[in-house]
Parts: sequence; structure tokens; C-alpha cells
Amino acid sequence: MELKTLTRASAPSEAGLQVLPAEPFARDAHGKPEIPLTAQAVYQYGSLIRAAEKTLLDLFTQGALSGTTHTCLGQELCQMAVVRALHQPVDAIVSNHRNHGHFLTYSGDFRGLLAEIMGREGGVCGGIGGSQHLAFRNFHSNGVQAGMTANAVGQALARKLRGVSSGVNNVVAIIVGDGTMGEGLLYESLNLAAIWQLPVLFVVENNRIAQTTLTADTVAGSIRARGEAFGLSTWQLDDAAPDFLQQVEHVVEQVRSSSRAGMLVIDTIRLGPHSKGDDARSDEEMRVIRQRDPLAALGLLLEPAQKNEIDEQVTAFIGEALKQASASPESTSYLPGRTLFHHAPATTPIPYAHRTGNVRASLNHALDEMLSKHSDVILLGEDLHEPYGGAFKVTSGLSAKYPERVISTPISEAGITGAGIGLALAGWKPVVEIMFADFITLTLDQLYNHAVKFPGMFPHAAVPLVLRTPAGGRRGYGPTHSQCPESLACAVPGLTVLFPSHRHASSSLLQRAVLNWPYPTVFFEHKLVYGLKEDAGDYEIVPAHADDAAADLFPLLRSGSSRPDITLIAYGHSLTIAETAAETLRAEELSVEILAPSLLSPLQVNTFLAALKGRERIIIIEEAPTPFAWGAELAARLHEAGFTGAIRRVGAPPIPVPAARSLEQSVLPQPADVITAVMDLLIR
Amino acid sequence: MPTPVVIPRINNNDDVVKLSRLFLEPGAPVKRGDLLAEIETDKANFEIEAESEGFILRIERGIGEICDVGSTLLWLGASVDEPMPDAPTKTPSAIGVTTQTPSLKALLLLKHYGVDASAVPATGDRLSADDVEAYARSRSLSSNSQPQNVQSPPPSEAGRTQALSPQERGMLRTVTWHRDEAVAGYIELPYDPKEWEQFAATFQQQHRLMMSPLLSLMAWQLTRVAARYPKLNATIANQQLYLYDNVNLGFTVQSGELLLMPVVRAAQALDAPAFVETLGGLQRQAMKLALKPEEASGATVAFTSMARWGVSRHTPILPPHTAFMVAHSAPTPTQAILGATYDHRVLTGFDVARALREIVKPPDA
Repeated sequence: MELKTLTRASAPSEAGLQVLPAEPFARDAHGKPEIPLTAQAVYQYGSLIRAAEKTLLDLFTQGALSGTTHTCLGQELCQMAVVRALHQPVDAIVSNHRNHGHFLTYSGDFRGLLAEIMGREGGVCGGIGGSQHLAFRNFHSNGVQAGMTANAVGQALARKLRGVSSGVNNVVAIIVGDGTMGEGLLYESLNLAAIWQLPVLFVVENNRIAQTTLTADTVAGSIRARGEAFGLSTWQLDDAAPDFLQQVEHVVEQVRSSSRAGMLVIDTIRLGPHSKGDDARSDEEMRVIRQRDPLAALGLLLEPAQKNEIDEQVTAFIGEALKQASASPESTSYLPGRTLFHHAPATTPIPYAHRTGNVRASLNHALDEMLSKHSDVILLGEDLHEPYGGAFKVTSGLSAKYPERVISTPISEAGITGAGIGLALAGWKPVVEIMFADFITLTLDQLYNHAVKFPGMFPHAAVPLVLRTPAGGRRGYGPTHSQCPESLACAVPGLTVLFPSHRHASSSLLQRAVLNWPYPTVFFEHKLVYGLKEDAGDYEIVPAHADDAAADLFPLLRSGSSRPDITLIAYGHSLTIAETAAETLRAEELSVEILAPSLLSPLQVNTFLAALKGRERIIIIEEAPTPFAWGAELAARLHEAGFTGAIRRVGAPPIPVPAARSLEQSVLPQPADVITAVMDLLIR
Repeated sequence: MPTPVVIPRINNNDDVVKLSRLFLEPGAPVKRGDLLAEIETDKANFEIEAESEGFILRIERGIGEICDVGSTLLWLGASVDEPMPDAPTKTPSAIGVTTQTPSLKALLLLKHYGVDASAVPATGDRLSADDVEAYARSRSLSSNSQPQNVQSPPPSEAGRTQALSPQERGMLRTVTWHRDEAVAGYIELPYDPKEWEQFAATFQQQHRLMMSPLLSLMAWQLTRVAARYPKLNATIANQQLYLYDNVNLGFTVQSGELLLMPVVRAAQALDAPAFVETLGGLQRQAMKLALKPEEASGATVAFTSMARWGVSRHTPILPPHTAFMVAHSAPTPTQAILGATYDHRVLTGFDVARALREIVKPPDA
């Protein structure tokens, strides 16, 4: 597989590490700033961070910045301490919206941060991320509070699995605030890190206020006790303590040497507003807070002359960083073609070949073969283990053969999806099984705000995550276990969505999704298709249009008349509905053609247009509720591209899928519904 | 009574299994616990044992066949010659197509050639595509061009485009046919409405009707007259007069903002009560927008009334392939007017006047 570099006009790439001529700090062999444990060095670096933050607020005041920012004024030592104790290039840092201190301690790239928030090409992410979304080497931050915690767990799992063979203990620090205690994913992540015994340090920067709401009003019980409840080693430190940085270094080394998860609560206080002007605290309260300021206290330990010299150095350096950031042009270029997919077709994609058994066996074979041949393929999901082998037995037998890489997980759909994203960022090829497609709602924040964001927002970030999930009804499982939620997945910008049928070579499609397609992908498998024989029948592959991303890997199939009266388009199990209806229509002397896509998104509109040239009547058949479904998008795109034939959609109404067989049959589309639509088209 | 042995469920998520072996043949005696068959999924094999004794009457499945869980594998009976229950008959209507109508391809071609199904003789049980093609060849029909799509660009004044509903497209087709094909004339005749009102009142009382049958009866009278004078029930096709076999009476119905035309087919065969009842049923379906395709097409003559809105005279637009459409209006205290639009290619003013004079009189008068 070949992956083209994302070619932004001036991709920051490793140039993100831009060393200013007169840096007042040293760097280690890997380029990470060195901050010795002396009052002078710590004061100096903390002051650099503070000066950068104040510069940003000044720029906002001057109207020179758009958007938002979250500064760490007052929390500089808190933000420096953990990152300072971690090592480039092996350890990883996963941060949040209040991330500047973490990023600057990790990268030393003051100009890159200022330029990023100023929206300049020279920004560390080319101006795409702004304040909250930063990436550099093993540093990633994002804008959803607990959203990155599971990602950190995945990165730690990746390190642990590799560390077992290399004997190296790496640490992943996930840094959140006390406000994050209100989000559930945090607890899924704590649980996963504990049961998988991962070297993750959960750092809670407890500044006792969430935006403008006091933590005392929103967090019940003790923060530290949350870590203890999951069996984690926990520590609580005060960033105003004289030996605070030494203690943090000690905590990090304990996590590293034990290779177990821990939680560090750092009591700190925010000196600035949450963002820019949104501070509701009283003047008296702020006066007390300023008296506590740990950075200012450190300055008092220095000789006045020495402190003045440092202050002048800091002012000059940040002034120079601002000057250079300002000289960088405004960001104007973004993802050419306005698409995430800059994938060069694999020179040798997995061969497209049908297997002889049913679709379930074909998918099982695909997973088995990938686990056998590719040591970076890993399976996560609920109840995958033997002898159960997964709710629909697609992973049957695999946990016995690959016990380390076929992992039965807790019921934590968001958590294991986030862990999959973390594994993918760390270079693995994770396949996550969500037991019922109905539950992808629980993964949506991970897909929508994380998986698809990283490839477009962070230079060099690839997220080759495949989320497999059994979908659909006609089994009487009722409203929350019978749905086809592909329209939700298709609505996620940048998410690749596959929904093959029994006519496709399922094994090849799954392997191509995992091995040949480096973008986050949801792979829907209809429950009734599992038992069908994988059989190409008289279908042929429609040649993929070169402008349709991924269309070459995940083929559109076609069967029937080349001069049809009616063209039926169906995917997944709906293809069997189309085929049954086609039998009736042919008995009615109509010539019928069937098109069966496996790739729903990105929409292969050019391939469809070529295949539908001259067609007069199209019926799109879906099991999903018709409103806002994939078929609506296909119809709209065809219309926009000048297609003039008539189009009808057949699908389910937007009501719950009932459990009773009779009711379910009346709700989900049947062949008779297709005939009705055809008659409507013929007599219009 | 024969007992079915059904295919059992082996796994919760397998709805089908494969029949891999059968151990006995029809006629064979069976003891409780005897092996009957072996079935398999892709994960396991499973043997089916007899739960009671008897004889195998019939085996429904073959080796290698994929069987639905819960379907009948075989039948056991108390004696070897026990009669089997009748096989359930298949219901062909499950899918919504009946053999009473033309095939869908034939429908498509009928539309293509602009021909009514009733005009085309069927060689088999139902009208086929070949029947329509043969008919079209015999009359050298060419494709019925779709309503002239008025491709004029939108006006320069600001506005917005709105797609037409199927009913609105139908109206576009109708008025375009009237403009492009028919040579339309209009004639009207004054008459005294009292006789008809009296006739309708008596009829209503006799048949205990909720609503006045006046308009339905006048339409029925139109079908009588059309049956009497075949040119009223005709059109022009390929430079030839085309006389319809049946009198199919189209009757306009306003449903909300939509104008529909249900059609009473073969109305010449209906007496007045049957006609009134049939038309009433179609009108109710039309109001619900639930007309079947064959109930909303194929008019050969038509009747319309705007009396409900107090309109005193109006000129109807001929439905495609008709030559005569009667217009009923609101009577004034002194007189009433019955009008008709006609296709002058088929009918003269005399033909129309004669017809109107017969329609303005109720049957007994």
C-alpha cells in the first residue's frame, strides 16, 4: 500500500519543529526542550509559556485573532510537569482544549503555536486546528472533553503489545480537567486501562472550575477516589508545592516501571478566564488566587537581577516568535479537491475473489488470514472469545489462534472505538466489532469528532480503523436491535461506509478495507446475509471511474439487461429484495437491471452516472428509513449531475422496527413495495 | 392425521440449515427415536430423530437443499396409506400484480403508443407486450410523443420552479392533447331542468340514496346516447376513425385542489342503478386519491359539472382520445344549459346537438 502525503500548500510536516535562532533553552537529542529542575530553568520556561499566552490574549483584544483560545495562565507549572517528565520519541501525550502548556513543553515550538492560532500557513497544523486541535509527533489534542481518553488507552495498548517484545516500557499521559469528570467516556477509559493493565497516566488538572461553573457544584465525591475505584494507583499533588515537579517525575517513573495505569490529580488554579473574557469570579476571589501563583512564587526565589534578565529574554524571544509568526502568510490552501481521500490506488490491492462458503465463513476467513499474515492487525469487540466466537460467530475460532490480538472487551462501544482510533494512530490496523449496528450511535462522537477529523486536521495522521457491525432486521429483534443506521454513518464527513451483499466477495472487501484503505471505515454486515452463499451469480463489476475515491477497491456490481425498462439499485440484504422483485418484473415482460454497490460513502457518483447513462427509470431499495437516507443523496447527486430519468425510493418508514414478525414485515420493504414503485413509474 | 416433522433451530442466529442426509424413504415405518435426517450449519451438524412412531408419508426436501428453520421436512402418518392434506395453494396476488391486467411491459407499451388496453386484442390470458407490438404494427403506430415538454426558458421575472405532481402531469398531458390533436368545438343547449330533477328525486327515493343521483343519471344517459351513436364514442388514430368497443365514461371529480377523472368501464352494459353505484364507488376512491391505474384511465366519453360552484357555463377540455365531453352547469331559476366540447375531426355540430337533445331528457320523458 502506498499512502500519498497530504499535500497542503505548505505542509508544516517536521518543519513544525522550527528552531528560532536565539532559543533561551536547550533541547535533548530528540529535540525536546530540556527543563532542568532548577528554579531558574523552571521559572524561565514557565514564563515563556505565560508570555505566549498573554500575547495570544493581547492579539484577541486587538482583533488580530478569530475563533477562540484557552490559556493556561496560572497553570503553567501544572501543564509543564507531566510533559516534562515524558520522553520523545517513545511516550505519548494526549491533551484537551487547554493544551498550550503541554504542547510548548513537548515541542518548544512557540512560533508554530502562535502562527497556528493566528491562522497562518506556518502554524503547527497549517491553521486548520487552531487553539484546541494540535498535533506534533506523539502529541495530539482535540476539543471534546473526555473524547481523547479512549484514544490514549488505544495508544497505550499499542505500546504495551510492542513493548512486550521489545522490553521497553512507554507511557501515555492523558490529560483532562476536573470538568471532564461529568463525561461517561472517561469511566469507560479508566476501566479499559485498568483491566488491560496499560501504562496510562490519567492526569486531572483540578483547577476547581469548569468554564464558569465551580467544580464543587458539579462533581460529587472525590476525584481521586474515582481512580481508586478502578484499582489504579493514585496520587494527588499541589502545583504550588516546592518539590512539585520532582514529585511528578517520580509518579511518571512509577507508571513506567509498573506498566500499570495510574491517576494523578493536580490541584491548581486558573489565573485567566476559561477562554477570553468569560470569567465570572469576583475581584476578591481573584486577588487571593493571584497571591497563590506558583510561577510568581518561583520568581521570588531568584535574585532580582537574574529574574529581570530572564524576563527580558522571555519578552525578546516571544516578541521574535510573534514577529516570525506574523510574517507567515494567512492560510489559504486546504486539502486539494476538498476531500480527505488522497489515496493512491494500491499497486497490488488484495485480489477480488469469491469464496465457496457463506458470507459469515468468508468474513471469518478474511479476519483469520489477516491476523495470520499481518502482525499489526488486531480485533476488539464484545464477546469475541471462544467458545462463543462473537454474537454472530464471525470471529469464531480466532481468539484461540491469536489470543493477544483478538480481545473481548467490556460493553463500552465508545471506549473500544476510541481505543481503535488510538491503535490506528500508533500504526496498527484495528478492526472493532460493534455487536449490533444500532449501537454505533454510542460510537458517533469517536467517529464524528475524532476518527475522521485527524486525517484532515493533523499532518501525517492516518486512521486505518475498520468498524464492523451487523445491521438490519427481519429477525424479530425489535426496535433497538434491527436497524440499518448507515445514513448516520454516511452523514459523517470523511467516513468511508461499506455495505456489501452476498453477491460481493466479502472476504476481499474486508481485507481491502483493513489493508488497502487507510481511512476510517464502517463495514456494515446484514444479519441475514451471513447465512447466504457468497455467490457472484451473473453479476459483473462496473468499471470504477478514476475520479471516484475508493470505487476501484469496493466494486459496484451489475446484472441483467443493458437496455432495461427498470433499473433497481440495492445494497446489503436489500439486494435479495431487488432480486425477488426482478423475478416478478421479468415475468411481467419487463427488462430489468440490478446495480449493487458495496461502497456507500464516498458516493461513487461518476461510476453510477456512467452505468446509468440512458436509463429511464430507477428504483433505489433500502431497508433503512427513507427520509434522509443514502438513496436520497444518490438521487440528489444524480439529478445535479444532469441525470434525467425518473427515480423512486423504496424503504422503511421512520418508525421503530417492531419485534412481531407480522408487524416487522409490514414495516420493512418487501418485493411487493418494489413492484408498487415500478407501477407508479410506469403509469406516471 | 399426518404430522409434520419440521426443521429445528440449531443456533440462535441461523435461520436456514442444509439438509445433508436422509435415513429413510417414503413408506418406511418409524419408531420413536429413529434417525430421520441430518442437517448442518456452517458450525455444526445435528441429527433429527422421530418423536413418535408411524410411517413416512412424504419427504418435502432433498439432500443438499437449504431449508428454512420451521419449514416442514417430512410427514409422518399412523398408516402407510393415510391421505395427505391438500398442498396449500399459492396466492399469486401477494406481490400486487394480478393476471386480470395487462403485463407491466404491455402497460408501458400502451402508454408508449398512446393506445388504450381495451382496444388491443389479447392472444393469451392477459395482454402481453407482443400483443401490443402486433397491434401497433398492424396500425403503423408510432411512439406517442410525451406531452410537448414546453422547454421555453423561465420568465425573466423572479420566481421559483416547482415540480408537477403525477396528477398535474396528467392534466398537462390532457390539455396538451386537446391543443395539439383535437380540433375542438363547443355547442350548448338550453333546457328545462325540472324533468331531470323530478326523475332524480324519484330515483333517489326508490333506491334510498343518501345523495341526489342527478349528475350520475345524466352521465348514465350520456352512455346510452353514446352507445346509440358510435361516432360519439370514437377518436382519430393514424388518419382513421377509431371506434371504441366499450363506452368508458370519464367523470371529473375535484379532490382538494386536484382534478381527477375516474372511469366507469364498459358502461353500456350497466343499468341505471348499477351505473350509479359503480360511479359512486369510484368517486369515493377518487376523493381518497386511491384510484387504481385502470380506474383512472381509458375514458372514451366524458361528463363534467361545475354546478357545485354556481358556474353557469363552461367549456371543458377533451381528455386524450375522446371526441365528446358534456358540460353540466348550475341552472338559473328559468333555464339551464347543457354544453359539450367535441372533436370536430369526428363529430359535426349536428351530431352534438342531436346528442345533447337526447341527454337533456330523462329516460321516461
